[in-house]
Amino acid sequence: MSRARARVRRVTIAASLVLGAIIWQVAGHYTSDAFWAPLSATLASLVEVVRTGVLLRQAVSSFELYLAGLVVAVVVGAPLGMLLARVGWLRVALEDYIMMLYATPMVALIPFILSIMGFGFAPKMLVVFLFAVFPVLYNTIEGARSVRPELVEVAKSFRSGEWRLWCDVLIPYTMPFTMTGVRQAIARGLVGMVAAEFFLSPSGLGQMIMMGSQNFDTAGMLAAILIIVLLGVALMDLGRHLEGRFARWRSYSP
Amino acid sequence: MRATIETESKRVMASGAAQPRIRISRAGMRYDAIEVFRDVDLDVGDREVVAIIGPSGCGKTTLLRCIDGLLPLTAGELRVEGEPVRGPREGVAMVFQHFGLFPWKTVAQNVAYGLKMAGQRPDAIAAKVAECIKLVGLAGFEHYYPHQISGGMQQRCGLARALAVEPRVLLMDEPFGAVDAQTREILQFELLKIWEMRPTTMVFVTHSIDEAVLMGDRIVVLKGRPSSVHEMVEVDLPRPRSRATLTLPRFAQLREHVWSTLMAEALEAEHEVKK
Repeated sequence: MSRARARVRRVTIAASLVLGAIIWQVAGHYTSDAFWAPLSATLASLVEVVRTGVLLRQAVSSFELYLAGLVVAVVVGAPLGMLLARVGWLRVALEDYIMMLYATPMVALIPFILSIMGFGFAPKMLVVFLFAVFPVLYNTIEGARSVRPELVEVAKSFRSGEWRLWCDVLIPYTMPFTMTGVRQAIARGLVGMVAAEFFLSPSGLGQMIMMGSQNFDTAGMLAAILIIVLLGVALMDLGRHLEGRFARWRSYSP
Repeated sequence: MRATIETESKRVMASGAAQPRIRISRAGMRYDAIEVFRDVDLDVGDREVVAIIGPSGCGKTTLLRCIDGLLPLTAGELRVEGEPVRGPREGVAMVFQHFGLFPWKTVAQNVAYGLKMAGQRPDAIAAKVAECIKLVGLAGFEHYYPHQISGGMQQRCGLARALAVEPRVLLMDEPFGAVDAQTREILQFELLKIWEMRPTTMVFVTHSIDEAVLMGDRIVVLKGRPSSVHEMVEVDLPRPRSRATLTLPRFAQLREHVWSTLMAEALEAEHEVKK
């Protein structure tokens, strides 16, 4: 029964993807090349950029930017979140700023970052960082603050010091919450990466999209977008996997 | 009252110790405007088992946490092994009502926790953990996580974690309050067996009159607002105790006595609500 249902599911997914590809192909034939390119032309363009090495170079450049921003966001966001959860006055002092920045569409800050920091790698990384850091920070604070008081009491009862309390209780307890933040940061960081490559000095996959658009090379543009889509799907999967790994016991409540 | 004090001092003399394991004198606790208990006096001798019973909100658990050093008293004095309690001490261990297991640690890792905090060597920890897991009947479940085992097994794990540090004073906060009735009975008799094998001073909080009479040498009845020691009931049932203890006429007598002491207040409270 369930095996039959699983097969139906697989067939439906495959049919949906094939149908999507056909619509893409047909739509490309009936519209101007300036608006839309058929799937075949897009794939041909993709093969071309792979062959010349342009894609690899640009993708690596994008990924470096993305990874640098994301790693700094996690490395700053997670410990800062833990600290804010434990130190009451610091949290009260910074809480409003964090909420304001979390609510601000980060794209609005890009012109400001441009005028202050110019066109280098650092301002672009800052954009990715700003997109990614708040989900990590926010979820970590929420997690660390929700630690079950009984567990802290157990640690105290067995005469744990503050440092051991962090290692044995606070950090493991907060990890699944932080991972939820990381999963969100993985998606938001990708948005930040493309935004930075559009609006600061053009580079990477963002630059490929821009150039394709400006030169009416729609197939080239769609090829770059397709790569970003695939990258996004793969990264979201990775994020969900990471979250699941640390969340096995999360529903546990005695 | 005087009679109680005399029997207590006799007990302390008989145990051969110069001082009781726990000495609580004129203890009081208040949170801001609310006074929880006042003028609580209690001496607990070596290897004595004391049950604390009383209506909800009377401060039983608070008193237990004070003995463990998790909370400071706001009045009076509390000494364990002759020293004033200023924080959690070596030689005192607690079993928590909701088990207090770390959900990211396995059964074995949870049992090892107290030993690790005490700074013991890894090989000593491993031996002790295996021994205690066997003692509480969890052999074969070492590598399970708390969410994979039943409530009763989780509390066995909580008990093993406390026993592992070889406490001279074992505190238990409604240890079987969060498990179902059948499991509760099984665990009570197992705890009695474990206590016979390695008797320690034991103070436990419970809502169950049967549990208090079955396990305790004495029962402290806390009552009033703020609460204080309303009565100290001597449980003169023979040890070792087992399921047969439940059938003794004396058990029924004691049970009835504690019941009427407690229920007088419960009935009053009910009456108040109706008014």
